[in-house]
Amino acid sequence: MHEVALDATHAIVTLDVGLPGIVWGWIIVMNMWAKSIGTGVIFMLFYLLKKYPTEAGYLRFPLTLVSIITIHVFLFFTVIDLHQIFRFWHIFFHPHWTSAITIGSFLATAFVGMIFLLAYLSFIKKDNEAFDKVLTWTAILAIPVTLYTAALMAQSTARELWQMPTEAAQMILAATLAGSATTLLMGGKLPYEAKRDLAIILGASAFGAFLLYMSELVFGPMKAEEVAATLDFITGHGPMTTWFWIGQVFAFIVPMVLVTLSVQNKSTGLLTLASVSAIAGLWVVKWVWLVIPQLLSMS
Amino acid sequence: MHLGFLVDLHLCMGCKGCEIACKVENEVPLSTWRLRVKYVDVGVFPETKRTFTPLRCNHCANAPCERICPVSALHYIENGIVNIDKERCIGCAGCVMACPYGAIYIDPETQTADKCTYCAHRIASSLMPACVVACPVEANIFGDLDDPASNISRYIMENQGNVQVRKPEKGTDPKHYYVGGGNITLNPLASKRVEGYDLFGKLTTKMPVGGHH
Repeated sequence: MHEVALDATHAIVTLDVGLPGIVWGWIIVMNMWAKSIGTGVIFMLFYLLKKYPTEAGYLRFPLTLVSIITIHVFLFFTVIDLHQIFRFWHIFFHPHWTSAITIGSFLATAFVGMIFLLAYLSFIKKDNEAFDKVLTWTAILAIPVTLYTAALMAQSTARELWQMPTEAAQMILAATLAGSATTLLMGGKLPYEAKRDLAIILGASAFGAFLLYMSELVFGPMKAEEVAATLDFITGHGPMTTWFWIGQVFAFIVPMVLVTLSVQNKSTGLLTLASVSAIAGLWVVKWVWLVIPQLLSMS
Repeated sequence: MHLGFLVDLHLCMGCKGCEIACKVENEVPLSTWRLRVKYVDVGVFPETKRTFTPLRCNHCANAPCERICPVSALHYIENGIVNIDKERCIGCAGCVMACPYGAIYIDPETQTADKCTYCAHRIASSLMPACVVACPVEANIFGDLDDPASNISRYIMENQGNVQVRKPEKGTDPKHYYVGGGNITLNPLASKRVEGYDLFGKLTTKMPVGGHH
């Protein structure tokens, strides 16, 4: 454990219970990562259909399908993380509305209904006009669905590192990053201008998120000793320092560089690599940020 | 009525009687604790001393665990106790993440959240919590904070200026007080942790005591 203990007191804990360990681990990372893709592609589809309605029309069903798959990955990992998975229904029948988990569950359920409706409209009914109308409401609903996890982290009073609205900004940026990267991977037939727009969204999201993480890293310790102790795990010779920087490089720095080169050279070849790097790196970033506050003893 | 707890750290001698009484009363599984006593050694030999700090749920008036629980498994009862309904708990561990005092754990047998309830079942029968009964030096003082004549209220009154709570900056309004506490005893960041301190944390409920069958 990293402490801010005084050398003068030479205080050493000689008997205490062990740390509870990582309570929210990789399963919750899968939850957040998949949700970022699931809502992010909806944001991107909404943007593309507003700006390039004809050229991007063919993406209506494929991106809806990606959203359905990733949102179900998110739901699957949410449920299997419960220690009592067969009591999941309690949330709907005994809801406690002060909890971000409850609100998120209802929002996510509504979102699932909306994306299935989109799939029906695009794949079975083939009604683009109705699809675009429903998509507007789905994109609006995707905002709180993206944000509720940030509210949950902020509600975790014990974890001083996670604050509102920083986490909310990170969640939205993660969604636009993962959404634009996935759409770039799926949108091979899009015109150059549309790909450039997606690349700029990817690069700007990476820049914004990187800036926030760096701000936390540099200025966070000025806020509270708990934050300082938590950030010790990812600075210097901290046990998570390497993973933190692997995440930052792959999720943000590589996409920023590749997007800049791509836009400057009017070439889209590098965007596939930027997208894959962003999506993979985001998982690592989320994992490190989720785990480090849990390494700190609460007693 | 608002029940509260106070531990006079001047009196506590670290016998762990409260810890054991709690374990027995509430059938707390191995490797988990509703109440535990933390030892912190201070100073350099020969100028050393050992401090003992019993740690349990603080039954906060503004409890983050109650707020984050999606199914109201953690809930207030009329006497101010933050109680838990293990039949309703879904085991999301939100409360474990929210509690700034590390007082909540996932019970390995029931796979639900669990914590100190101030022995709510005993209080309902007009009995004192098991840890209070077991304490040989009456370091645990329990009672109604709304009653100025109660032991705990008088104790707080008599020790004004020397009554502390853990992590007041969290705004949780804990109803668990300490007399004679300090930064080293109450702030987890004020002491170092060296290998071996968590000896008992390495036991698991599946490990047969005394060797393999």
